[in-house]
Amino acid sequence: MAFKESLINLIGAIGVVAVIYLVISIVLKMEKLKQFQAEVDKLKKSLDEMDEQAKLIVRTDMELNKTQEELDKKMTGLYTLQKLSRAITTTLEENQIFKMVKPDYLEDLGFEKACAFLLSEKEKVFVPQINIGYLQQDMEIIKSAPDLTDVYLSLIKNEKTISSSSLRQNILLNDKIRRIFKVNSFVISPLLPKEGNKGVLFVGTENEETLINEGDEELITILANQLGQALENARLFEKTWRAQHDLEKKVEERTRELTHVLEEVKIISKRKTDFISSVSHELRTPLTSIKGYASILLTGKLGNMPSEIKERLDKINRHSDELAHLVNDLLDIARIESGRMIMKKEALNLKGIVEEVLDLLSVQLKERQVESSFNIPEEANAILADRSQIERVFINIVGNALKFTPAQGKISIMAHKLDGAVQLDISDTGCGIPEEAQEKIFEEFYRVDNAINQEVKGTGLGLALVKHIIEAHNGKIWVKSKVGSGSTFSFTIPQAT
Amino acid sequence: MDIGVGLSIEKDPILAAKEAFRLAKINILPGQRIDLAIVFSSIDLACTTLLKTISDSLEGAPLVGASGAAIISNKGIFKHGLIILLLGFPKGAYLNTASVKDIKAKTTIRAGEELGEKLLYGCRDTRRDLSIIFSDGLIDDSSRLIDGLQERLGRSFPLVGGSASDNLRFLRTYLYLNREVLTDACIGVLLGGGKINFGMGIKHGWKPLGKPRKVTLSKGNIVFEIDEQPAVKLYEEYLALGLSELKKQLKHISILYPLGIYLPGEDEYLLRNIVSVENNGALRFQGDVPEDSLVRLMIGTKESCLSATRQATAETKMGLYGPIFNVAKKEIKYFVLVFDSISRYMLLRREATKEVEIIKEAFGKDTPIIGLYTYGEQAPLKAINYRGRAYFHNQTITILAIGG
Repeated sequence: MAFKESLINLIGAIGVVAVIYLVISIVLKMEKLKQFQAEVDKLKKSLDEMDEQAKLIVRTDMELNKTQEELDKKMTGLYTLQKLSRAITTTLEENQIFKMVKPDYLEDLGFEKACAFLLSEKEKVFVPQINIGYLQQDMEIIKSAPDLTDVYLSLIKNEKTISSSSLRQNILLNDKIRRIFKVNSFVISPLLPKEGNKGVLFVGTENEETLINEGDEELITILANQLGQALENARLFEKTWRAQHDLEKKVEERTRELTHVLEEVKIISKRKTDFISSVSHELRTPLTSIKGYASILLTGKLGNMPSEIKERLDKINRHSDELAHLVNDLLDIARIESGRMIMKKEALNLKGIVEEVLDLLSVQLKERQVESSFNIPEEANAILADRSQIERVFINIVGNALKFTPAQGKISIMAHKLDGAVQLDISDTGCGIPEEAQEKIFEEFYRVDNAINQEVKGTGLGLALVKHIIEAHNGKIWVKSKVGSGSTFSFTIPQAT
Repeated sequence: MDIGVGLSIEKDPILAAKEAFRLAKINILPGQRIDLAIVFSSIDLACTTLLKTISDSLEGAPLVGASGAAIISNKGIFKHGLIILLLGFPKGAYLNTASVKDIKAKTTIRAGEELGEKLLYGCRDTRRDLSIIFSDGLIDDSSRLIDGLQERLGRSFPLVGGSASDNLRFLRTYLYLNREVLTDACIGVLLGGGKINFGMGIKHGWKPLGKPRKVTLSKGNIVFEIDEQPAVKLYEEYLALGLSELKKQLKHISILYPLGIYLPGEDEYLLRNIVSVENNGALRFQGDVPEDSLVRLMIGTKESCLSATRQATAETKMGLYGPIFNVAKKEIKYFVLVFDSISRYMLLRREATKEVEIIKEAFGKDTPIIGLYTYGEQAPLKAINYRGRAYFHNQTITILAIGG
């Protein structure tokens, strides 16, 4: 029994211990579970927190995307505007300017429809200039919409841009424009060139998602300004161009007239030359007879004549000589002018010619007590000319110098080399030539009005002939002179190589 | 294999067709047969005149293609343009093209089955290697189309495809088959026989954000409840937008923050774009979202997007070169076909051309590239559990390189 009791006691004790253990372990487990629960709660909380953060990230990202989209749109817009501007501002033809606004550019700006109108001053109507995205019948409706003209005029007057956004308050007008142009959003900006007729630019889109903001309005306003500026430039250019064109036309006309006159002058001049030539020929034949008969009479072979007759005959003879001289000079001038006289150009020794001429004139030089000198350097010695003609030039010029140089005067002949030519300067210490006569002395039959000329006879053809001869040698002749201090005649003659 | 690519940015369809074809033809030897033409264009060029002009020069070879918000070529990305790829396959290669119209009336799953049957017609005994499909980008449960197709072609049959797109108006997308412009349709190309090698890569780069959620009620592509709440609440909560505002901005939100479905074994989530928000708070997606799947809101950055492109390119290259490791790489001619999700274009914006640069860097700067911006892509999943079965994807760059 005692055993049994003790066993029961033992079991009871063990039971108690077990219960105590169980209770303790349950309590401990509960504690752990609580800890786990707290852990789970913590995790859950942090997960929820993270989820909240995720929401924040998504919202920020959405904002960022929106901003970036707008930025992209603006950048594309600016880039397009720059390209467009370049195309527009380099166009100088008015009807080409609007053609530069191409659908591609427009699309990059966010629009697919556009039109532009210019106000015709005469009829007070807006005439379409471009049409992108509209059919012919759409355009007719837009053109004939009566109220729009007033809208355009007020935009031009106030220099103001409007858009579907800025017209938000004015629902009536906003809807009307949308309906007529068949768009959802639009911008209308005035074209304001300072020169000529003004107008408006319309751009629009059917896209319901496009919202016009201030940036869009600014872009289109800039585009409209560029178009206006380009129109102005083109019109100014057109004006300038037309003025220049008119001027050119006038010059051309005048040139034609002058050419015509020149032709006539040439014909007249040729007729004159021909006339002189034929008259001279006609004169020479009878002149030869007169001179011949006078000579025969003077020899006395036909009987002696009283001295009075002889004296008159002498005069006839001398005058005939002069006349023959004149006629010959005239003939020569006519021949050179008409190109009938051919210069037989050959290499000549200038010094030899000058010496010869001075030798020929030595009697007269001595008679008039005029000293002569010349200086022809070796490098200017060889000339290419017709010998007999060039001698004539020298005889004429030196003869003239002699004629107008008083006693104890000096005549000098100097030569120097130019590029491919030789220049000769024949100076005298004579009475000189008044300035106003200096050009005319080379004209035919011109004689300087002075005492010597009234006394000494001359034809007035000598220098004219000289000029013709020099020019036929491709040379030039001119004179430098001052009344009272002599003259210098200069001319050029080609150099012989 | 003979490969020629031609690009044109002419506005007139006839001029564009002539220019692009002329350029593509330069690389095809004279007298060489053309077996297939793949044509992608922007929607302004999507017209029968374009296709007739090209087909007139093809001497009977089939033409397949689609419209897109932009086209991709070796020379960059073009919002307006036309790209033509001319292919002459090696001897023994087998090619079949087929189309199915009126998808909405037939249901997408039936349309997929029909396309599969048509593609198999006459080639049941040939070794089949790959199918490429183009589908209308506005079909709202494109997953079903693949399901139907796989019923006929086999679940693990390699399939790559893209859904046509328009200029982000989501109004109408176009498919090209020979001389016809189709909508509400899909087109398939089946390749087999011959010595054709191919490699493919598909990646998106979007990352999960926030708590994992569970789809508690869904049917096909419509998700009614997430965590026993109306599905739309997920978006309302994260974006702090009311229902009406959410509906208004849906196109953007759907592209930037798609729903990601967790796939065990895959390193990326399978993405789904929202098509519409229903009034009862349900969300309609472009592809299936199975009940009980774990889903998360996804977010993408330019960098993660481009790094995905790098990975997809590397995988494609591995696939192309892998089986012919010992062959001198220079001897094979290949081209790269790209289906690039329009969402990537919207995220990358100015940097979108970097994707083309990445591909050129990997394959060589003169590699013929022809690509299209899409509203959805079809490509196999790699993880072993999926046995290479193709799924409908959103937001990815899907690259297919074919050589021979």
